[in-house]
Amino acid sequence: MTPFEVGLMMTGVLLLLVILGVRVAFAAAFTGLVGLIVHFSMQMGFERGFFVALKMAGTIPHSKSVTYALSVLPTFILIGFLAFYAGFTQQLFEAAKRWLGWLPGGMAVGTVFATAGFAAVSGASVATAAVFARVAIPEMLQAGYSKRLSAAVVAAGGTLASLIPPSAILVIYAILVEQSVGKLLIAGFLPGVFSAFIYVGIIVGISAWRGDAPPVRGFSWGQRFESLPGTLPIIAVVAIIFCAFFFGLATPTEAGSLGAFVVLMVAIVKGMRLKQLGQALHETAKLTVMIFTLIWGVLLYVRFLGFAGLPDAFEEFIVSLEFSPWIVMVCILLCYAVLGMFMDAIGMLILTLPVVYPAVMALNGGETVSAADSAFGMSGEACAIWFGILVVKMAELCLITPPIGLNCFVVSGVRPDIPVQEVFRGCVPFFIADVLTIAGLLAFPSIITILPELMG
Amino acid sequence: ADVTWNVSLWGKRRAFTEHVEKLAEEVSAKTDGKFELNLHYGEALSKSRENLDGISFGAFEMAQICASYHPDKNPSLTVLELPFLGVEDLSEETKVSMKLYEHPAVKEDLGRWNAMALMPSPMPQYNFAGKGEAPEAISDFEGMRVRALGGIGQLMEAVGAVPTSVTASETYQAIDSGTVRAASFAPHAHLSFKVVEVADWWTKNLNPGTVQCPVVVNIDAYEALPDDFKAALDSSVQPALAHYMATYDKVYEKWWPELEKRDVTQVEFSEQELAAFSEKAGPIHKAWVEEQSANGLPAQEILDMVKSTIAE
Amino acid sequence: MNITDPGGRSDPERPVAYIRFDGWLGHVENAFNLVAAFAILSLMLLAVVQVVGRLAFNMPVPGFIDITEQAMAIFAFAGVAYCQRVGGHIRMEIVLGTLRGRTLYICELLGVILIAFTVALLIWGSWYHFDRSWTIGDSTMDIRLPTWPSKLVVPVALGVLLLRLVLQAYGYARLIADPAREPLAVPVIEKVEEVAKHEIEEVFGDEHIAGDDK
Ligand code: NA
Ligand code: NA
Repeated sequence: MTPFEVGLMMTGVLLLLVILGVRVAFAAAFTGLVGLIVHFSMQMGFERGFFVALKMAGTIPHSKSVTYALSVLPTFILIGFLAFYAGFTQQLFEAAKRWLGWLPGGMAVGTVFATAGFAAVSGASVATAAVFARVAIPEMLQAGYSKRLSAAVVAAGGTLASLIPPSAILVIYAILVEQSVGKLLIAGFLPGVFSAFIYVGIIVGISAWRGDAPPVRGFSWGQRFESLPGTLPIIAVVAIIFCAFFFGLATPTEAGSLGAFVVLMVAIVKGMRLKQLGQALHETAKLTVMIFTLIWGVLLYVRFLGFAGLPDAFEEFIVSLEFSPWIVMVCILLCYAVLGMFMDAIGMLILTLPVVYPAVMALNGGETVSAADSAFGMSGEACAIWFGILVVKMAELCLITPPIGLNCFVVSGVRPDIPVQEVFRGCVPFFIADVLTIAGLLAFPSIITILPELMG
Repeated sequence: ADVTWNVSLWGKRRAFTEHVEKLAEEVSAKTDGKFELNLHYGEALSKSRENLDGISFGAFEMAQICASYHPDKNPSLTVLELPFLGVEDLSEETKVSMKLYEHPAVKEDLGRWNAMALMPSPMPQYNFAGKGEAPEAISDFEGMRVRALGGIGQLMEAVGAVPTSVTASETYQAIDSGTVRAASFAPHAHLSFKVVEVADWWTKNLNPGTVQCPVVVNIDAYEALPDDFKAALDSSVQPALAHYMATYDKVYEKWWPELEKRDVTQVEFSEQELAAFSEKAGPIHKAWVEEQSANGLPAQEILDMVKSTIAE
Repeated sequence: MNITDPGGRSDPERPVAYIRFDGWLGHVENAFNLVAAFAILSLMLLAVVQVVGRLAFNMPVPGFIDITEQAMAIFAFAGVAYCQRVGGHIRMEIVLGTLRGRTLYICELLGVILIAFTVALLIWGSWYHFDRSWTIGDSTMDIRLPTWPSKLVVPVALGVLLLRLVLQAYGYARLIADPAREPLAVPVIEKVEEVAKHEIEEVFGDEHIAGDDK
C-alpha cells in the first residue's frame, strides 16, 4: 500500500466510526493514531514504527491545544453563559418593542432585533433561542400573534448569534484555516445584520399580507428613550469587542476577557448568586474542554494525513473537476447543509475543514492569488473569510430544519404548549429567508469582505 | 529513490527556506535521484516548537529549528542570540554558526535530541521598525513598548523599554493601534508581517542581534546513510548556503524601495549612541555565561570562541 | 439503611463497589473541572490586568502570552473526564438512536473500548512528551517558563479519563449480561427533545425546573 492509500482507507474508517456514533473527537484521534502506526510500521517495521507513531501522537494534544490564538474561546463561551444572568434580554426586548413595534408584525420585528442585539454578547445560538423563548413569546402571544410565528421568530433569531461577533465557531474556523481571528469576527457582522434585515422583511411582508400580527403602537418618544439606558451594558460590550478587533486595540483574548469581565460585573450587580456563577463556570469549562478535545483529536488525524499526503490529493481532485467553480462551491455548501442536519455545527466544521478548506482555496486559485486571477473574483484571504461565513451560515440554517433543528426543539421545550412541528412549520419562511441570504452572500461577497478589507 | 528523508518546515516556501530547497535539489542530482529530501511545509509534520522532539524519536530525518523558540532545549545555541555580538553580515553569521556547531559542547547539547546541526539559516540583524517619532538616542527608548524576544528583549529592557507580548502575526495591528510602538524582525519578516506598512522609522544601524535557526538532522539517520549519500549531503551544504545568500539579497532589492516608497525614516545612530547600547549588552553576556555555566556548559569558552571568530 | 433498587433486584445484586467507585471518581472529576473553571476565570482576570496595565500604566504583564499558553493546558484537559461522564463529547446518534437493548449496549461497549484503547496509548505518548521536557529541558520563548508542568497535565487528565472509560465499559458489560438492568453511571442516548431540555436547564439552571413544578 502507498501512504496515500493508507490515508484514504483510514479516512473511510473515520467516516464509518463517526456514523456509528463513536464520539467524534476520539474517533478522529483513534484514526490518526492507528494511521500513524500503520504509516511508520510500513517504513521502519512495526517494532520501531509503533513507538515513533506513539511518540508523534503524544506530542499533539499538548502542542495543538496550547496555542495562544485558541485562548479566546473560553472567554467568548463565558460571556455567553454569563449574559443570561446579566438580564440583558428583557431590556433589549423592551427597547426593540418600543422603537419598532409600530411595524406590521412589530413584536416579531422587535424580537429579531433583540436577538441580534443579544447575539452581540452571546455566541451560543441554541441558548439565545432558549432565553428569548421565555422573554418574547409570552408577550407576542398576549398581543395576539400566532404560536407558530412567535415560536419561529425566536428559533430563527437565535441563529444570528454565531455570525454577529463574538462567535466561538468563527474563532475556531479562523484558527483552523490560519486566518486572522479579528477579521473573521468582523466579517460576520454585516452578514448577521443582513440576515436580520431579511428576517424583518419577511415578517413585515407576511404580517402586512395576513394581518394577523398587529403592530403595537402608542409608545411616546419619552418612553422610547427611557428604554435605552437598559441596553447600555450591551452597547458597552459591543463597543469593546468591535473596537478591539476593528482598531486592533486589544488581542481577541484580551477583548473577550474584557467583555466577560464587564458582563460578570453587570451580572453581579443584577444579583447573580455565587452558585449561579459556579454553574456558569462549570458549563464554560465543559464546553471548552469539549471543543479542545475535538480540536486536538481531529488535528491528530490531520497530522497523519500530512504524512500520508492526502489533503494535496483531495485538492488536486477538486481542482481537476470539469465543472465551473461556482457549481463546485454550491455543491460543497449543500453537503454542509446535509451534514449539518445530523451533526453539531462545531463538530462538522472541525472534522471537515482540514480537507475541504485547502480544496476550496485551490479552487479559487491558491492562497496567494490576486482578485483578478481568481475563480471567485476575490483574493485568497478574502475567499477564506467569505467561505468561513458561508459555512457558518449553512450550519446555522440547520438549527431550524428538521430532523434535529435544535433551536426549534429548544423553543418547544421552553414552551411545552407549542408542539415542535408547529415551530418547524413556522420556520419555513425563515428558511426561505436564509436561502435568500446565502444566495445574496454568494452573489455579493463584498457584504462579507468589505469590513475586513477596511481593517487592512 | 533508495532513501527518502522527510523534512519538517513551518510557514510557506520563502527566502528563509531556500537553502533547504537547494539542498534537496543538489542531493537528488548528485545521487541520480536515489536520495531524496521530501520537504513538508506548513507544520504538516510537526509544530515548529516541537521539531526537535520529532527529530529525537525519528518521525522525520531533517528539520529547521530556531533556538529562541525553546531556549532551554538548546542552551548552547542561544549564545548566537546574545545582543551586540557585532556580526556584520550573513556570511559572517554563517561562518560563526558553522564554527559553533563544531564545538563538542554544542554537539553534546543537540545530541541529547539525537540531532546534529547541518547548516545555519543565517538571519540579518533584527532591527526595529516602529510608529511615531523616530528614536535618535538610547534615552528615546525609555518607556517604549516594543515587541522583542530573547536577548534583544533583555537588551531593550536594559535601556528602559517595555517588552510586550504580541504574536508575530498580530504585530501589524499591535503597532497600528499603539499596543506596541515598535517590533524587531529581519527585513523579510518586516515585509511579510506588513510592519513596514505602519512603520514611520527603521533602525538602520542599531544591529542589536539576531536569531539562530539551524537545519538539523537525525544522527541515526545520518549515520545510516551509505558513504556516497553522506558525501552528497555534506558537499551540498555550501552550494545550498550560497544559493540562500543570493536569494536573501533579493529581499533587500524589495526592502530598500519599500522603505523609500513608504517614506520610512532610516535612523542611523551615532557611534556614541551605539557604544552606549553595546555597553548595556555586557551584563547580559555575563548573565548568560553565569546561567549556562551553572547548567554545566563551558559557557565562557563558547562565548570567547564566538567573539574571536567574529573578530577574525 | 435500605435503598430501594429501581431495577427491582434484591440488595446483594446491587453493584455496590461499582457505584461507590463511580461516586468517588465523580468527585475527582468535579474537582478537575472546577480547577479548569478557575483557570478560565483567572485567565480572564489576568487579561483584564494586562489591558488595563498596558493602556493605563504602561505596565503590561511580562510574558503574558507565555503564561496564558502554559495555563491553557489546564482548561484544555482537566475537564475531559467530567465531559465524558456527562456525555458532553459530541457524536452522531442517527444509527445508535435506532438500536435497542443488548445490541445498543454492545455498540456502546465497543465504542468505549475503542476510546479507552486510544486514550491509553495517548497517555503513554504524552508521558514521553512530558518526560523529554523534564529530563532534557524545554521552556517558553519569551520569559522562559518551564513547559513540563503544563505537559504533565495531559497524561494526568487522560489518566482520569481512562478510569472513567474503564468504569463505563463495566457499566455497559453488566447491561449486556442483563439488558433489563437499570443503566447506572453510563450516559444514555437522549432523544432530541431531551437534549433540548438539557440545553434549557443549562441556560436557566435549577430555577426553570423549579418553576415548572409550581
Ligand atoms: Na455572537
Ligand atoms: Na445541526
